Amino acid sequence: MSLGEIAPGPMWPARAEGREQPVRYCKSCLYPETKPDLWFDEHGVCNACNNFASRETVDWSARQAELKTVLQRYRQENGNNYDCIVPVSGGKDSHYQLIRLLELGMNPLCVTATTDDLSPIGRRNIENMKKLGVDFVEVTTNPVIRRKINKFTLSTIGDVSWPEHVTIFTIPVRMAVQFNVPLIVWGENPQHEYGGPATSTTKNILDRRWLEEFGGLLGFRVSDLIGQLEIQPRNLIQYTYPSDEDLQRVGVSGIFLGYYFPWDGYQNALIAQGYGFETLPNMVEGALANYENLDNHQMGIHDYFKFLKYGFGRATDIASNHIRRGRMSRLDGLNLVKRHDGRFPWSYLGKPLADILGEFDMDVEEFMRICDRWTNKRLFLTDHNGQLVKDKDQNLTKKLYDNA
Amino acid sequence: MRTVTIVDCGLSNIDSAVRALEYCGGDPVVTRDPAVVRAAGRLVLPGVGAFPEAMRRLNEAGLTDAIREAAIHGERPVLGICLGMQLLATAGQEMAFTQGIGVIPGDVTPLQRADATERVPHIGWNTVEDIGDCPLLKGVPPLSDFYFVHSFHFKPNDPAHMMGQTPSYGGFAAIVGRGLAFGAQFHPEKSQANGFAILKNFVGL
Amino acid sequence: MVKIRVMPTLLHRDMGLVKGERFDSWRRTGSALQAIKVYNMRGVDELVFMDITASPDGRPPDFDLIDDLADECFMPMTVGGGVRDAEDIGRLLGVGADKVSLNSHALANPDIIAEGARTFGSQCIVLSIDVLRGPDGRLEVMSHGGKRPTGKDPVEWAKRGADLGAGEILLTSIDRDGTFQGYDIALAKAVAAAVDVPVIASGGAGDYAHMADVLRQADVAAVAAASIFHFTEKTPAEAKKYLKKEGFNVRI
Repeated sequence: MSLGEIAPGPMWPARAEGREQPVRYCKSCLYPETKPDLWFDEHGVCNACNNFASRETVDWSARQAELKTVLQRYRQENGNNYDCIVPVSGGKDSHYQLIRLLELGMNPLCVTATTDDLSPIGRRNIENMKKLGVDFVEVTTNPVIRRKINKFTLSTIGDVSWPEHVTIFTIPVRMAVQFNVPLIVWGENPQHEYGGPATSTTKNILDRRWLEEFGGLLGFRVSDLIGQLEIQPRNLIQYTYPSDEDLQRVGVSGIFLGYYFPWDGYQNALIAQGYGFETLPNMVEGALANYENLDNHQMGIHDYFKFLKYGFGRATDIASNHIRRGRMSRLDGLNLVKRHDGRFPWSYLGKPLADILGEFDMDVEEFMRICDRWTNKRLFLTDHNGQLVKDKDQNLTKKLYDNA
Repeated sequence: MRTVTIVDCGLSNIDSAVRALEYCGGDPVVTRDPAVVRAAGRLVLPGVGAFPEAMRRLNEAGLTDAIREAAIHGERPVLGICLGMQLLATAGQEMAFTQGIGVIPGDVTPLQRADATERVPHIGWNTVEDIGDCPLLKGVPPLSDFYFVHSFHFKPNDPAHMMGQTPSYGGFAAIVGRGLAFGAQFHPEKSQANGFAILKNFVGL
Repeated sequence: MVKIRVMPTLLHRDMGLVKGERFDSWRRTGSALQAIKVYNMRGVDELVFMDITASPDGRPPDFDLIDDLADECFMPMTVGGGVRDAEDIGRLLGVGADKVSLNSHALANPDIIAEGARTFGSQCIVLSIDVLRGPDGRLEVMSHGGKRPTGKDPVEWAKRGADLGAGEILLTSIDRDGTFQGYDIALAKAVAAAVDVPVIASGGAGDYAHMADVLRQADVAAVAAASIFHFTEKTPAEAKKYLKKEGFNVRI
């Protein structure tokens, strides 16, 4: 069977009659089946692993030749405008994207959609990118409104990072229209590494439909915000995706660098470090890395809610990445996940939870109530009263950390 | 104190009524005890189900008399919802002729299609026209939509007791009222903004 | 006239929502709670919530789950999946369903339709009919999540169900499900013409025009849809705006 073509539809094993079905985990990495857009083949291996394995069959030099052709089409020989937009956050992948594009002789405009709660190290890494020698636009949404939205989406749809998801995809596209620069060079197609339907993994273009389907918006639309908390359309300009007319007029087109280069976040971090990218001295809380997600203090909350809803957190993502690349055995990854995944986010990058919550006017008690409401009780240990079992630090315990 | 006593005859979703009334500024209390019902400051009678079965349960629990007394002698505000509204009638014809609680004189009879485009049961959102200067509709935009799900309707004997009308099925009572006793054929707790306005008005009576 | 409803459908499997194609529901689409909350905020007309593995698994509905979800919303809800008897119906109504849908168990034992209608009233009882159009074009009712053929004709079964006391028919085309190709209009038309109770068309909506088409050509009271709302930027509110412009009687 060709590993590149994954037929949709998992092979659901014989189901335990009349009983609750246990969560199944990928046999190869550590992803649980509860993850949206993840499914297993007949060997119990998930599509993220299969997608990764299919890299062996890819002719990367052909792809890179293809990339050169694409870039040439958009290069502004007279130098009157930028060759492309590169959306960046200042992180390891952003550094890598910019380094590659500069190597390829492009004149990009970097666009950052300022994150929710920018950390000092995040700010330093953004400044470091500028020093690589590039024009840079930072678009910061009104923080007063942004905070209201963070609080609202945290309690209403269980995702504090909803405005972040919208703006990191929307703002670069708006800038493309505004600056009349049609080509947007994104980094990794998250559907590749993290799983997704076949059509999206082979699809190279990130359009409005992609954003709605995979952009992590959880079904909540920008239009849903109007009228809530006194938010008006005038407050949501940067959240508004450009019209089809504008996109067509400018000819906006996006490509994923991850299609042309075998993507590895850890490798990107190693390269980026050589160019001044700063990492943390210690592991980020709840993750297994000191080299990613360093810019937004709210990230810990975002990852925690992923754990509450789907039973896996950032440690699972990172361990699975390393397992796929042979840097870590599945067993070692599992043990690390048991130690670190889904720990209650008392701090992030050293900033205490109370302070992070205080930025959008919430206290820890209210936060805990919201956490409980969003916890998928089927995944965690409960007592005979149906209440979640928590340790002294509010940590939950999953019913199953691996296949039986 | 805006206590609202909800009568639980075991045939309906009490939770929705409780939450909706809380949301609308009330302080809901659920009971099956006739004594509590008699002493209630405000009564809500929700109802999902069939008329005869509901009356059987109310009679068995001694709630029928208690509700009638609270409404008529005690002149307490009462709100019957959907089947609860129908139960306030003198009699119902669903399946078999059954006596109702008898707070508002009238009969509960099957909906009659006015033309071939209509279907029974009546399920979905439909307009309610204020025809009796109904205090429950205060502040609600005219001809607002509410959520209905029923096969029978309440025909009050006295036209003055018809407070809100829906034009379908030849025109039937969407809201009835006698004194402070009201019935809503639709589900205010499921009718979102308009429904909450109704409940807020009731809690304010 | 009662207004036409646009009803989002949520399919629940084990511990989360799923969606798929032609009843092969494999794609996890996330937490039921957040979908419920989003739709609640938008004030949709009515929500359909189906537990799609209850009958195939041979287990009853998950009452606790429905209770939790109903606590988060004020929308009318039709709940189905694994409903066996009047007791199950009563429990679901008790935890927050406004109407309860019967499917596989009603096919095996049609009397539960009558029993449900007797105890709770026809208006609470929805008969959910899943239909497969065979290669010869013949329509067949399927049970157990579209897996088991029953040999029954959907029009006949719908008529029988309405006679027994079902107050509404939820008619789903398995072939069209998740395909974005449009509703099976011929099927909807045939069933809607055969019964006096409201019929909800389901399966296949890809754009708002599909909804207008089935409403125009078949006498259905409502349209239900899932994929179009899960996977695209289309929303129930926009659907109704479109339908209103096309002259349909909808609630805006």
